[in-house]
Amino acid sequence: MSSSSWLPAQLTSMAHNVDLLFYIMLGIITFFFVLVEVLLITFLIRYRRSAKNPVGAAVHGNNVLETVWTLIPALILVFMGAYSVRYVYEAQNPPAKPLVIEVIGHEWFWEFKYPNGLDTHNDLRIPAGQNVLFDIHSADVIHGFYIPEARIQQDALPGRITQFWVNVDAKDVGKQFQVPCDQFCGTGHPIMVGQLTVMSPDDFNTWMQTELQKQQAKS
Amino acid sequence: MEAVLQAPRRSFVREWVFTVDHKKIGIMYGVTALFFFLIGGLFALLVRTDLLSYKGLFDAQSYNEFFTMHATVMVFLVIIPMLMGAFANYLVPLQVGARDMAFPRMNALSYWLYFVGGIIILLSMLYGMPDSGWTAYPPYSLTSQGPGMDFWVMAIHIVGLSSILGAINIIVTVHRMRAPGMTWNRLPLFVWSTLVTAYMQLFATPALAGAVTTLLLDRHFNTVFYDSSAGGDPMMYQHLFWFYSHPAVYIMILPAFGIISEVIPVFARKPIFGYHAIAYSSVAIGFLGFFVWAHHMFVAGMQMSAGIPFMISSLVIAVPTSVKIFNWLATMWRGAVEYTVPMMYASLGFIGSFIIGGFSGTIVAAVPLDMHLHDTYFVVAHIHYVLFGGAVMCIMAGIHFWFPKLTGRMYNEKLGYLGFWLYFIGTQVTFFPMHLVGLAGMPRRIQSYAPIFQTWNQVATIGSYILGLGTIIILYNLMVSAKYGRKVGHNPWHARTLEWTVSSPPPEHNFDEIPVVTDTPYRPYTPEELTASKESA
Ligand SMILES: [Cu+2]
Ligand SMILES: [Cu+2]
Repeated sequence: MSSSSWLPAQLTSMAHNVDLLFYIMLGIITFFFVLVEVLLITFLIRYRRSAKNPVGAAVHGNNVLETVWTLIPALILVFMGAYSVRYVYEAQNPPAKPLVIEVIGHEWFWEFKYPNGLDTHNDLRIPAGQNVLFDIHSADVIHGFYIPEARIQQDALPGRITQFWVNVDAKDVGKQFQVPCDQFCGTGHPIMVGQLTVMSPDDFNTWMQTELQKQQAKS
Repeated sequence: MEAVLQAPRRSFVREWVFTVDHKKIGIMYGVTALFFFLIGGLFALLVRTDLLSYKGLFDAQSYNEFFTMHATVMVFLVIIPMLMGAFANYLVPLQVGARDMAFPRMNALSYWLYFVGGIIILLSMLYGMPDSGWTAYPPYSLTSQGPGMDFWVMAIHIVGLSSILGAINIIVTVHRMRAPGMTWNRLPLFVWSTLVTAYMQLFATPALAGAVTTLLLDRHFNTVFYDSSAGGDPMMYQHLFWFYSHPAVYIMILPAFGIISEVIPVFARKPIFGYHAIAYSSVAIGFLGFFVWAHHMFVAGMQMSAGIPFMISSLVIAVPTSVKIFNWLATMWRGAVEYTVPMMYASLGFIGSFIIGGFSGTIVAAVPLDMHLHDTYFVVAHIHYVLFGGAVMCIMAGIHFWFPKLTGRMYNEKLGYLGFWLYFIGTQVTFFPMHLVGLAGMPRRIQSYAPIFQTWNQVATIGSYILGLGTIIILYNLMVSAKYGRKVGHNPWHARTLEWTVSSPPPEHNFDEIPVVTDTPYRPYTPEELTASKESA
C-alpha cells in the first residue's frame, strides 16, 4: 500500500528520477532553511536588547554581502531549473510504438478504452515492462488524471487531448494502486477514483480478450 | 469610540459614512476586513471539521461551498483590502507627508465598492453559495446551479473595480504628494512596496475582470468563449485568471514585506540593512510577477516543455525574495532586539514560517515535481505558508505595531504574546502536515479521502482550532484595549517615519505644517535622544 505521509511507491523509472530530483532540491532547501532559522534564532538571542546593549550598531549595508546573497541563490535556482529541463523532455516525448489507452473523464468516473475496443469504467490495467501512452480527454468538465505512484498527471479537458506515458517495472506485477481525479469537478470529485492494476503482458492480453468477449456477449 | 472622544458634535453617519479622510477610510477598511476574516475563518474551520473523518462529516455540496467561500473571502475581502485598503490608506499619506490621498472622494468610493462587494458575498449565503472553488474554472463553473456563481462574479467585479481605483489613488499620491525633501531614497520601504503593489493591481486586475465577464456571458447570454464543442477554449480562462491571480499572490505579500521592513529596524534599533536592495527587489518582484502565471497550468493541457520558461521565471523570482530575507536578518545582526509583540510576529512568526512557503514554492515551480504535486495538498500547504505564515503574520505585526498610533493606547501585552504563540504554533500544526499527505498524493478540494490520510488530517484540524482560538484572543485584546488600554505618547516605539511625529491618533489633516524631510527614516534613536524622550514623556 502507498505511504500516507511521504512519497508513495515508485512504479516507473521516471518516478525514480523525479524522486531523485526532489531529494536534491530538498537537500538544498533544507540547508538554506536551517541556515536562515539558525541565524534568526541566534540573532534574536545574541543581540537582544539589554542595559548593556541599548542600541544597535550603525551599519547601513554592505555591497559585497548584497552581491553574494543575490548571486548564490540565483545560481542555485537556475541550476535547479536547468537540471529539471531534461526530465521535462523525457516525460514529454512518448516512446516509439506504445500501447495506447484512451482515458475519458466523466462526472464522476474514469472510462478507459483499450486498443482491442474493450471499454471499462474505473478499471485500468496495464502490462508491466511495456510503454503505455494515455490519450486523455473529458466528456464534460475538466478532470485531473493522476497516478501518484508514477509521479505524473495531466488534466482531462473537453475538446483537447493531453498525454503522458508510463513504463511500469516488472516487480510491481499484481499490485493495485488508486488513480484519483485531482482537478475539482463537483460533488462527485472525491469519489472519482479509478483502480490501476499492473499485469504481466500475457495476463493483460488474456484479460483484454476475455473482458471484450464478456462485454460483447452482454450487448 | 475614538470618534466620540475626538469630535462629539458630529453624528456617526457624518463622521464615518460620509468621511473622505484617508485615516477613517483606512480604519473602516480594517474593521470590515477583520469582520470578513472571522467569516472566512469560520469557513476554514468548517472545511477542517469535515476532514476530521476520512468519510467527511458534511455533504459534498456544502463542503464545496465552504472551501469556495473560504478562499474567496480571504483573498478578495480580507488580505488584499487589509493590506492595500487599510494599511496603505492609513499610512501612505502620513508616511509621505501629505494631508490626504490624491483623490479623497475616489478613496471613499473604493471603500464603499468593497463594502458592496462584501455584502453581495454575504447575500450569497442566503441565496445559494458559489461552489466552483475561488478559481471558478469553466466548464464546471458554467454548469454550477443556482445564483451563487452569479453573485460571485458580481462581487469579484465590484471588488476588482474598488481595487483599481485604490491603486490609482496610491500611485498618484506617492508620485505627486510627497512632502518637500521626501526623495525616493528617503521613502519608507512600506511606501515603496505599496507603490509597486498598486502598479501590479492596476495592470493585473483588468485580466480578472475579463475572465469573470466572459464567464457570466457564457452562463447567461449563450456566448461560447469556453465551450469547446463550439470552438471555445476553457484554457483561455485559466490564462486570464492566472494573469491576475499570480500577481495577486504578490499583491498579498509585497505590502506585507513592507510592514516587516518598518517593524524590524525599529525594534532592532538599527538602520535597515540594504535599503536600496529591499526597495529595488520589490520592483523586481513586481516586474517578474507578470511572467510566471503559467506555472499554475503546467498540467492543464500546455505542452510540458512550454512550462520551462515559466519554471525558470518562477525560480528566479525567489531571488529578490531571498535578498529581502537576508537583509532583514542582517538588520537584526548586531542590533538591540526588543521582543515586543509586533517584533515576535515579524521575526519568528513571519520569517520563521514564511521561508517554508518560499522554499516549497521552488519545489512546485520545477515542472517535473509539479507533475506529481500539482492539485495535491502540497500546494495547499505551500499557499498557506505564504498567505498565513506570510501575509497574516505581517498583518498581525502591523496591527500591533500601529495600534498605539490609531488609538493612542497600548494593547494588553500578555494577551498579545498569548495570541502570537497560538498563531505561531497553530500555523505549524495546521499547515505542515499538509506537505506530508500532499507528497503521498492526497488531492486537494475533496470532502472525503483515503483512510490512510486520516491521522495527519486530524492533526491539521486540531491546529486550525488553535488558530481559531488565537484569532478570538487577538481580536478581543484589540477591541478591549482600544477602549481601556494604557495611554501612550505619540511615539512609543521611538520610530522615525512621519506618522510617529504627529499625535496619536493623528489630527484630521495629519500635519499642521507640511514637514520638510531632511533625513532617512531609518536612523535609530541615539542613547541621548532616548533619555530625552523618556524625560519628556
Ligand atoms: Cu473529476
Ligand atoms: Cu503563481
